[in-house]
Amino acid sequence: MDTGSNEPKSRYRQYLEVVTGPLEDKKRWRQYKARIRNLPENYRMAVEALERYLMHFGPGDGADAASMYEDLADLFEQSAADGTPIREIFGEDPVEFVEAFVQNYSVGRYINRERNRLTSAIARAAGEDTGKEVRTV
Amino acid sequence: MGKQVTEMLKGTLEGIVLAILYGRPAYGYEITAWLRDQGFSDIAEGTIYALLIRVEQRGLVDVEKVPSDKGPPRKMYSLNAQGREYLEEFWRNWSFLTERLEQLREGGK
Repeated sequence: MDTGSNEPKSRYRQYLEVVTGPLEDKKRWRQYKARIRNLPENYRMAVEALERYLMHFGPGDGADAASMYEDLADLFEQSAADGTPIREIFGEDPVEFVEAFVQNYSVGRYINRERNRLTSAIARAAGEDTGKEVRTV
Repeated sequence: MGKQVTEMLKGTLEGIVLAILYGRPAYGYEITAWLRDQGFSDIAEGTIYALLIRVEQRGLVDVEKVPSDKGPPRKMYSLNAQGREYLEEFWRNWSFLTERLEQLREGGK
């Protein structure tokens, strides 16, 4: 999918985006929302429930988060077109699916950063000289 | 499908999917359908979808977008050189694991 033009941004636009965040991301978000609105009722309910869950991970990187929601829209549009039952998309445990899914994007990797931070803090507390700082970002 | 086999499958699903793609390129839903036919009836379409995004990001598969009559374009996945290398490693680890487990089983008799 085309993710926006590569034209240089005007000074005004650059300034504006410092305040608002990139406008491309906002456009992609609106497009995603429009796609979701066109889904059959039960698929839309499922995506909106996922969306609510994903919001808890925080905003993440704008472009990457936009890709995440686009991938979600792809999955549900395909499933709706094929008539794949909701339960076959999610399996027994919806949390398992969403956790595997979110790991692919920066919002999901936020938790990895915290895990690395914990790992190196425990190494320090255990008096281990790991010789290198575990990168946390 | 029992809970135990579901848990066992988690660690090997990536290798299984790459092994399926070793034979021929496939769409995501074909992979899910194949697994279900083979008796892995609890496999969620979404889980396979998330896994395919991951192997794509890690550069193990090549992706071609193919227009579809219904719905958005479908991604056709094929194993590339890096993916084949990764799959070989998976089979080596698999052999190691099954040999050790078989030894354990024989020893238990």
